[in-house]
Amino acid sequence: MAARKKTRTRKARVVSKADKEFISEAEEILERMRLDLADLSDQRAAGEEVDPELVNRLFRSAHSLKGLANLFGFDPVQNLAHHLEDVLDGLRLGRVLLSVAVVDVVDRTASLFAKLLSAVGDTAAIEAMSEAVQALIAEIELAKQPVETQAEEFATLDIEASLLRALTEYEEHRLRENLRRGRNILLVDATFEIISFEEGLSELTTAIREIGEVLSTLPAPGESSKAQICFSLLVASDLTSTEVDARFEFPDTTVRSVAAARNPAPAAAGKSVSTSVSEPIATVDPPDGAAPATSNDAPQIQPPDPREFESLKSISDTVRVDIRKLDELMNLVGELVIQRSALGDLVSRLHGDPATARIGSDFGKVHKALDGKLRELQSAVLEVRMVPLRQVFEKVSRVVRRLRVELEKDVRLELCGADTELDKLIVEELIDPLMHIVRNALDHGIESPNERSEKGKDPQGCIKIDAFQRGNHVVIAVSDDGRGIDRERLRAKAEAKGVIEPGDVLTDKENLDLIFAPGVSTRDEVTEISGRGVGMDVVRHNLAPLGGVVDVDSEPGQGTTISMTLPITLAIIRSVLVAVADQRFAIPLNTVQETLSIDPEQIQRSEDREILNHRGDALLLLRLSDAFGLAGLSRDEKSFVVVLGMGDSRIGLIVDRLEGQQDTVIKPIQGPIPTIRGIAGATELGDQYPVLVLDVSALLDDALHRKEAA
Amino acid sequence: MQRILIVEDSATMRALLVSALDEMPTPVKITETESGFEALRVLPRQRFDLILTDINMADINGLELVSFVKSNETYRSIPLVIVSTEGSDRDRDKGLSLGADAYLVKPFDPEELRQIAQDLLSRAPRSNEG
Repeated sequence: MAARKKTRTRKARVVSKADKEFISEAEEILERMRLDLADLSDQRAAGEEVDPELVNRLFRSAHSLKGLANLFGFDPVQNLAHHLEDVLDGLRLGRVLLSVAVVDVVDRTASLFAKLLSAVGDTAAIEAMSEAVQALIAEIELAKQPVETQAEEFATLDIEASLLRALTEYEEHRLRENLRRGRNILLVDATFEIISFEEGLSELTTAIREIGEVLSTLPAPGESSKAQICFSLLVASDLTSTEVDARFEFPDTTVRSVAAARNPAPAAAGKSVSTSVSEPIATVDPPDGAAPATSNDAPQIQPPDPREFESLKSISDTVRVDIRKLDELMNLVGELVIQRSALGDLVSRLHGDPATARIGSDFGKVHKALDGKLRELQSAVLEVRMVPLRQVFEKVSRVVRRLRVELEKDVRLELCGADTELDKLIVEELIDPLMHIVRNALDHGIESPNERSEKGKDPQGCIKIDAFQRGNHVVIAVSDDGRGIDRERLRAKAEAKGVIEPGDVLTDKENLDLIFAPGVSTRDEVTEISGRGVGMDVVRHNLAPLGGVVDVDSEPGQGTTISMTLPITLAIIRSVLVAVADQRFAIPLNTVQETLSIDPEQIQRSEDREILNHRGDALLLLRLSDAFGLAGLSRDEKSFVVVLGMGDSRIGLIVDRLEGQQDTVIKPIQGPIPTIRGIAGATELGDQYPVLVLDVSALLDDALHRKEAA
Repeated sequence: MQRILIVEDSATMRALLVSALDEMPTPVKITETESGFEALRVLPRQRFDLILTDINMADINGLELVSFVKSNETYRSIPLVIVSTEGSDRDRDKGLSLGADAYLVKPFDPEELRQIAQDLLSRAPRSNEG
């Protein structure tokens, strides 16, 4: 009796201790779930096949959560955990369709769960949430779209029964699923020394994941020595056992076939970049249910389940395309555009001659119609390449979630404009610079919660990413409400690095812009988070080839905003043609604000710079002839000014002549020509004479930062 | 002293198992591992008299561990209990058919766990120290 009593009191204490552990472990699990959910959304958004292991891991998290919640005992928590586990179990076992709605509701469940956790101990608060819990449970049930699964026997497989018997329900499902898709099923046997098996096994597993899926890992005692351990890995792959065997160079490893592919898929195709947002792509089985012939197969043709039919339809109306094919298509359109320009010249020549004026006029009409269709084609091809920034945003939020834990900072991330679209290529190139800016904001910008409280700020910092379209550009602005940039320190650093001289007078903007100078970093120590001494100069450098610019704005104590301005697409751009002496240049139209005709006396001089008083502002002038050492018009002649602007920077470019607008397809200059700063590439206009395309960002940079360069 | 091996990836669950087993009438030594791989490494190092394992784990699952233990001459005689959350009856049945000696549903009653452990330990041969 006494012993029993002791047990009871001990139990009570243990449970209350478990409360705390429950919360911390549950929080950990939820965090992992959110990361996995973000990965899942990424894969779906990228049109990739969803990694089954990811779904299984989500299930395991929900499963652990339920295990914990059951101990813990509040109804709403238990109930929610139960339904969450249930839907994820359905997903991993292929019984529930992995739809947008399901992913969304799971995501929201994880959030609500986090809220419930933070209310633990406050019974009233939890009770208050029970309605929301009920509503969400109803939503979960609604989002579940059942998928008919057919049982398939594994009798035809050449595997030991012991291996099949140790498969969990999930592993059985994955085996079935891979058989259904007609992949090869292989058995990889490997022997390791027991003291160090994990390393060898993980190398092997990593190698296998590159060519397929590891369905199960069964350990068995070593055959020749007690100090050894064997693993039998059941693997699904598009490669045959011979191909895999030839590829692997692991000692003491054998590969054999367990089931051969029914309709061999193309072997390990190169990774393609998808540009569409789609449901996971599945191989659609022939309608006659030509599953592997097993004794249990019912030969009758069954009416298709309408729901299954629907699910197949929803996955088949998108196509994954290799981005290189789109590049090719884009190039072809570009060449057509050039041909059209040549046609335009022909039309004007026909028009110009009275003898051919009539046919010229007819020809002109056809040309115009062709022109219209070509424009449509061009924008349709561009459209295909456009992807929303959502995926990038999801990646950023994932990184922020991880970093804020590492850096022990309390930060909220606000994202606006996830639907803003950009060319796939630009999106790819954008990720690194964006990550860098966000990491900087977290690491250097946002203060620690204590420091913030002392300053009378909200202890929780905020990083906001705002993406929006402005004309032909997309602006992505990253703002934080942190400490702002210390101008004095920045200046001191730049002086120390020899970027500026101690006596130099800088405007505030010039001072801030020092952040982009090579080697200038506002912090002395290099942290793991912001990288190994990589500064903002790299961000500017990375964006330049895309025709992008970076601007910085910062208020001490209030925060910093870094904005990237990027063209929406790269391939075909409308350009203003200008000429200096005999050389023609194309200037991307999206960087041209206006063109002016000026008399020499309008140009004012200040030190060694030429300035134009334009609409009340002093516009810095640059002679294109000087920039490239060409013999331009004499300075007393009337000339033209092209006002170039990107981001917040503006200059006036003096040229000899304006030659109108053209669609140009920019191609990088190839061959043994050294790259010249200020030239982004070359284009041709159909008359066989190459035209150089100006790198406006570099020109602006050089003109506005001449002081430092000197 | 008899030794018990716990294979469980949840820290909370491990703590609960340990605190329940701490109250055994005859004291036991407990080794905690948080994954199947860790269990595979620990197994050859010392003799255990009882194994408690979870099913859903990241590297190898509990069933695979049961299969390993029960197909191995050295370990076959060690009694094994699957401790897992209710729901997957098929996995439980598989575990038992692979040779697991008992099955305990989470959240478990500490008294029930001790009872099962006691029964199985009294069947097992005493391990020699060292």
